[in-house]
Amino acid sequence: MSIGSAFGRLYRGETTVDYYGKRKPAFLVSGVFMLATVVALVLGGLNLGIDFKGGVAWEGPATATLDQDAVREVLEANGIDTSNAKLQTLQGIDGERIRVQVGDQPDEVRVAVQKALAEKAGIESQEVSVAAVSSSWGRSITLKAIRALLVFFVLVSLYIAWRFEWKMALAAIAAMAHDVLISVGVYAIFRFEVTPATVVAFLTILGYSLYDTVVVFDKVRENIDRFATSKMSMGNIVNVSSNQVLARSLNTTLSSALPVISLLVVGSYIMGATNLQEFAIALLVGMLTGTYSSIFIATPLVAILKNREPKYAAVAGAVAQGAEMAALFEHTTTRAAQKAAAESQVSRESSVLKNTSSNVLTHPPRPRKRRRR
Amino acid sequence: MKRRLFASLIGIVLVAAVAIGFTVGSGDRPSLGLDLQGGASITLQPEGEYDALALDVAVEIIRSRVDAIGVAEPEIIRQGDTVVVNLPGVKDQQRALDIVGRTGDLQLRPVLQSGSVDPTGGTGDTGTGNTDPVDTTVPEEGGPGEARGARPMVDTTVPTTDTTAPTTDTTVAATDTTVPAPGVEPIDATVDEESAGVTTANDLPEGSEVLLGRDGFAYLVGPVAATGLVFENNASANIQGSSWSVVVQLRGGAEGEDIWNALTSRCFSRDTTCPTAQVAIVLDGEVISAPVVQEAVFTGGEVQITGDFTEQDARDLAKILEFGAVPVKFEVSQVQTVSPTLGSDSLRAAIISGLVGLALVFLLMLAYYRFVAVIVFVGLAVSISLQFSIITYLSKTNGLALSLSGIAGIIVSIGIAVDSYIVFFERLKDELASGRSLRNSAQRSFEGAWRTVLAADTVSFLAAAVLWWLTVGSVRGFAFFLGLATLADVVIVWFFTRPAMLLLARSKFMATRSMFGIKQPKTGEVAP
Repeated sequence: MSIGSAFGRLYRGETTVDYYGKRKPAFLVSGVFMLATVVALVLGGLNLGIDFKGGVAWEGPATATLDQDAVREVLEANGIDTSNAKLQTLQGIDGERIRVQVGDQPDEVRVAVQKALAEKAGIESQEVSVAAVSSSWGRSITLKAIRALLVFFVLVSLYIAWRFEWKMALAAIAAMAHDVLISVGVYAIFRFEVTPATVVAFLTILGYSLYDTVVVFDKVRENIDRFATSKMSMGNIVNVSSNQVLARSLNTTLSSALPVISLLVVGSYIMGATNLQEFAIALLVGMLTGTYSSIFIATPLVAILKNREPKYAAVAGAVAQGAEMAALFEHTTTRAAQKAAAESQVSRESSVLKNTSSNVLTHPPRPRKRRRR
Repeated sequence: MKRRLFASLIGIVLVAAVAIGFTVGSGDRPSLGLDLQGGASITLQPEGEYDALALDVAVEIIRSRVDAIGVAEPEIIRQGDTVVVNLPGVKDQQRALDIVGRTGDLQLRPVLQSGSVDPTGGTGDTGTGNTDPVDTTVPEEGGPGEARGARPMVDTTVPTTDTTAPTTDTTVAATDTTVPAPGVEPIDATVDEESAGVTTANDLPEGSEVLLGRDGFAYLVGPVAATGLVFENNASANIQGSSWSVVVQLRGGAEGEDIWNALTSRCFSRDTTCPTAQVAIVLDGEVISAPVVQEAVFTGGEVQITGDFTEQDARDLAKILEFGAVPVKFEVSQVQTVSPTLGSDSLRAAIISGLVGLALVFLLMLAYYRFVAVIVFVGLAVSISLQFSIITYLSKTNGLALSLSGIAGIIVSIGIAVDSYIVFFERLKDELASGRSLRNSAQRSFEGAWRTVLAADTVSFLAAAVLWWLTVGSVRGFAFFLGLATLADVVIVWFFTRPAMLLLARSKFMATRSMFGIKQPKTGEVAP
């Protein structure tokens, strides 16, 4: 099959991928990633930045020879990474001063930098102060954020349980945990420095993941209603739903990811704002896993949970493939109609590649008397 | 129907145009956070004796106060022994000082007279007024405590130690050392604020002033007798029997117990400087509570305040006593303006990459949905105009500051805004593919898409609302922008996308064209 026709099928929402059948490999892959995250967290932990751990600050008068660039040079000469250093000029009654904060440094580095800074400025080294700085992200901020998240999880579970059902709430929360864990894993494995912006990135991922899952679940719910009167397995329902939303999911992911990729490429590589780089990477990973988990984790989980219901347990094994699945996309709610659809699959298969309108005409629209919910 | 769609479409575009016009016209810009714009930096130098632990406690207390003011994303750090408070966007240094200086000055002042501001508020007499709250302070180890007079007006000119207000004994029942608290004689007429001042105007000690109480009463209080420093930072709210009380430890020695006992013995004896026997607990010029002193000398080192508290009352009071009592005294040693930590290049990088991203998204939409993408583009423009105006307005009035993470949040929200269109268009494609007319499909697919958008946006908004209510600092800033973007999305989908698409579907323009490359059947072919 050529790429062009694959795109055409995607564009028309006619892909027939058996997502449900691939649930075990998908769970395995996700499990491996999550395990790697947990191992990295246990062994190395997160590389917390100055806002969380505190560090050291030097402060001295700004002179003609001691400006921000000069301070950067001094720091780099002493082997300190300046991408996350906080460099500030202070303007007060006693003139202009310069303050630089970085993560914790051993004593000899503190003294060396102090001397080097004083030398650059042409002043006595006592005039440059060295002091330990505490974290600006207080314990109370973390506690409050965790409490807020717990409240949010409870509320969002209740909302999804009310709007859809509790099984979907469970699956959505699981998918979200999966996404956040993997994004945190990227930080733990690559030892990126965690800043308050990173925390915001994780929260964004959390929100995006839930948002995406809810959009997919809305389709699943619609299909559950559509097939309510026929004996249709959950595997089929989630497959049909996932294929129907595939075009939307890819499109949305692409349009959400493009600004972030632009942040990464234009902002950080071309324009050199390196502090945007790690933030953008975390967001990108979170968005990709967010889309992935909605289709490969959340919906199969719903199917697995719902297969325990007697109605679906009886037909749990029956998962249509290929053209048979494609036939389910039509509004076929009765067995006879399904049968007719399955019989006409051969003619359909050939027409699919030729043109859409003739394909449509092989199944004249049913009279518009659909059951309203 | 058609007219209403037109009205909605024109209305929202007009609102957005006027809003952005005003915002740009007035020359206001959203103020930016510490990382992007800088702000004011206040250095607090500790005075007297302190240790590292006390400094840590002090930083936490200052943080909770500054956060409570609502300045967006302040930064409070300890640098060596000094405490540095950085406030974003505050260019006016005096204002910055006001904010830090105003916070949480806890004073203890003798009450000279109290009265109701409301002329009808205090007419009940104490004998039957058993719904009125009574505060009683009792040291845990023995001895009578102190009780605040019953709410109805207290006539302070006649010391009435022998009368017992019937309501007071229940509030101290839980302690072993129950003593009927001395009540105070009610007077028939309530004294309002002015007359309270007049009656004692002649012999007012210097530093006296009338302060409003949280309970709605006015208090004429004497000069500051003690500060929150007499208490340890360990106030707690406890339940005793059925009523709530607050217990706080006194600091030992001259700094704590001595000052406190000097004040309470004066009040207990109903000295002229404290004729009501009440001590007002004043925070930032507001009387939080004014319990009546029940004991001259507090030997146990512990103060208990009881009364008709609700749990919330007790917890609030405990928090005030705890936070009001900063264990270290600070002096403002420096006020400086501080430059941004990130520099203008990262702001420019973020904005340019945001615009590039926006352009890429538009190209994607154009390639995928063809000319319908124009609706996406105009919709985004309307949405961005509205959000920009709101952000600018709030940063002017409420000190909202846009930090780098906020900007990044907005860039991300582009994706979520575009998603609403994608959900809509994909449904429309499905409907068209199953052979319906464009007009019919547009209506049906909007209904489906609206449900989806509403469900998904509710989840996002829930996240934003909970995070905004319950957190502080940069998390709160993020929550605000997420919530705003979500609300804007819902508004745009209903007031802009819906009329724009439905009208386009009916237009003559579409009669000769196909949408999304799907030919629509001629009208006659569709089943009626």
